[in-house]
Amino acid sequence: MKKRTLFASALLAGGAILGTAAVAQEQLPTHLKELLELGMHPGHSFVDEGREMFHKPGPNGKSCATCHGQDGVKLEGAYAKMPRYYKDIGKVADIDLRILACMTKYMGYDKNDKKFMKKFNKWSGPYRVPLASYVASLSNGQEINVQLNHPEEKRMYKLGEELWFMRVGARDFSCGICHTVLAGKRIRLQGLPDPVKQKVYTHWPAYRFGSDRMWTMEDRVRSCWKAYFLYVKQWNEKKDWVKKPPPYSEWVIALELYMKKAANGGTIEVPGLLR
Amino acid sequence: MKKIVIAGAVAGLGLLVACQPAAQQTEAPKKEVTAQKKKLSKHEKFKIALENQDKYQKACSNPVQLVPEGIDIETFKKEMLATVKFPEGGVVGKNIARGEKLFGDPKKGGKSRRGNCYACHCGDPQIIACGNIGPSLRGYGKRGIDPKETYIRIYNSWAVNPCSVMPRLGYHGVLSPEEIADIVAYMHDPNSPLNK
Ligand code: HEC
Ligand code: HEC
Ligand code: HEC
Repeated sequence: MKKRTLFASALLAGGAILGTAAVAQEQLPTHLKELLELGMHPGHSFVDEGREMFHKPGPNGKSCATCHGQDGVKLEGAYAKMPRYYKDIGKVADIDLRILACMTKYMGYDKNDKKFMKKFNKWSGPYRVPLASYVASLSNGQEINVQLNHPEEKRMYKLGEELWFMRVGARDFSCGICHTVLAGKRIRLQGLPDPVKQKVYTHWPAYRFGSDRMWTMEDRVRSCWKAYFLYVKQWNEKKDWVKKPPPYSEWVIALELYMKKAANGGTIEVPGLLR
Repeated sequence: MKKIVIAGAVAGLGLLVACQPAAQQTEAPKKEVTAQKKKLSKHEKFKIALENQDKYQKACSNPVQLVPEGIDIETFKKEMLATVKFPEGGVVGKNIARGEKLFGDPKKGGKSRRGNCYACHCGDPQIIACGNIGPSLRGYGKRGIDPKETYIRIYNSWAVNPCSVMPRLGYHGVLSPEEIADIVAYMHDPNSPLNK
């Protein structure tokens, strides 16, 4: 924890950096590029933390390394093919859900333990984000190669494509409105990327300066739903606003699969760095 | 009555809207009981939220996104126009200050993001944090546009332009007819920063 904060504050200390980052559009400001070249990337401390956690025994004495090898050797390249279908859990999983499944199924962590789940879900917790960042980094330099072999993978991909273009909610939005139709335009001051054409998945999980946080694609996708103003009965900012899909739900993983497949052939380079 | 007036002033919404929560107060306990009985899980809530998609949104959910499929454009527009409800006091409201807040920059006191016009439009030259998704509304009131047209556009933009990226703010109840009328007043007022 301390390590992360230190890195972040060192970077943000030069207020100018944050200022530039806040108005930057598509590209990283040169300050950040220079810091990257110096090897100062706040995302790396999450990877380091994930590596430590990877080798730490869980409640039943097993660590991730017990099954996946010292330094995760057996997981090299795995992230390039995710999300995919897993027989042991009977569903398509993204990196977040896969880690959760391994911890609860194979390491003695309890899915019904609310305290554990809260810690797992939290962006600043010791499990999900650091482990996802570390496991993803084991595929650095590899090309994304998502295949749709299993019928569940095909079904989820179709669902993802449908959701991408689905106009819904009190603002009539869809992912496609902001990211396909309006790509390149500016919503307030934020430039709108095209995650499909630009193969942005190559740089996720990513550290975001704006929020001073490391995000997995789960976090990114779920947050974008907030713009829709979804509701159960009648949209109301205070009383009836369905902000995000539940974590690790099909709605999120389907969209991830849709975007990751579009990024096939792109070279993984994580953690990414965004404003 | 005093209570209601204070509530109205605090919420900055005017009497009409402020009356509603007060009137509902007597019924509140009953509602809570029914709400508790069928407390929905997060999964159920999200599922319902997606199922709330209306047939017009569905028609716009094709890869082109901006052209309806399965409904002819003229019928689409006519049906959308039929949803537009007009306020009793006419399409030009009296509370220009409220209109400005709703048009809104949060920094200028419009805390709510309901209107959020600046996300897509520029307007008041003082506000540089504005998007370029829709056309600039600078000088809008000087173009001789009928305020009724402005009202319809904000209430239900799909009555003018099916599948537009501009949300149907009145149709969905994000803004009330009276609130939209105040935005119209702000946009057409010669003294509005939009038109100066
Ligand atoms: C007791 C053994 C065991 C432990 C401990 C374990 N896993 Fe797994 N893991 C599995 C199995 C089994 C699979 C499914 C493999 C398959 O179907 O290809 C899997 C799959 C994965 C995958 C996907 C691999 C791929 O090829 O797609 C990742 C990533 C992963 N585990 C990460 C972790 C992490 C991180 C931890 C520690 C928090 C962990 N696992 C702990 C058994 C384990
Ligand atoms: C109202 C517009 C809007 C909608 C609707 C929207 N997004 Fe976004 N999205 C944004 C903005 C703005 C950003 C860039 C934020 C930033 O610069 O940090 C973004 C960023 C992203 C990114 C990261 C892009 C990158 O550069 O790495 C992904 C992926 C993404 N959105 C996916 C989605 C998905 C999936 C949906 C549909 C569920 C969606 N978005 C809906 C506005 C939107
Ligand atoms: C998500 C983006 C978005 C938001 C939010 C939005 N608009 Fe628009 N608006 C547009 C677009 C795009 C157009 C261009 C016509 C079209 O595509 O329907 C437009 C057109 C208009 C027009 C017609 C302009 C002309 O030159 O004919 C008016 C008036 C207007 N908007 C007012 C508003 C007001 C007032 C608000 C806030 C309550 C608002 N808009 C919010 C996107 C938006």
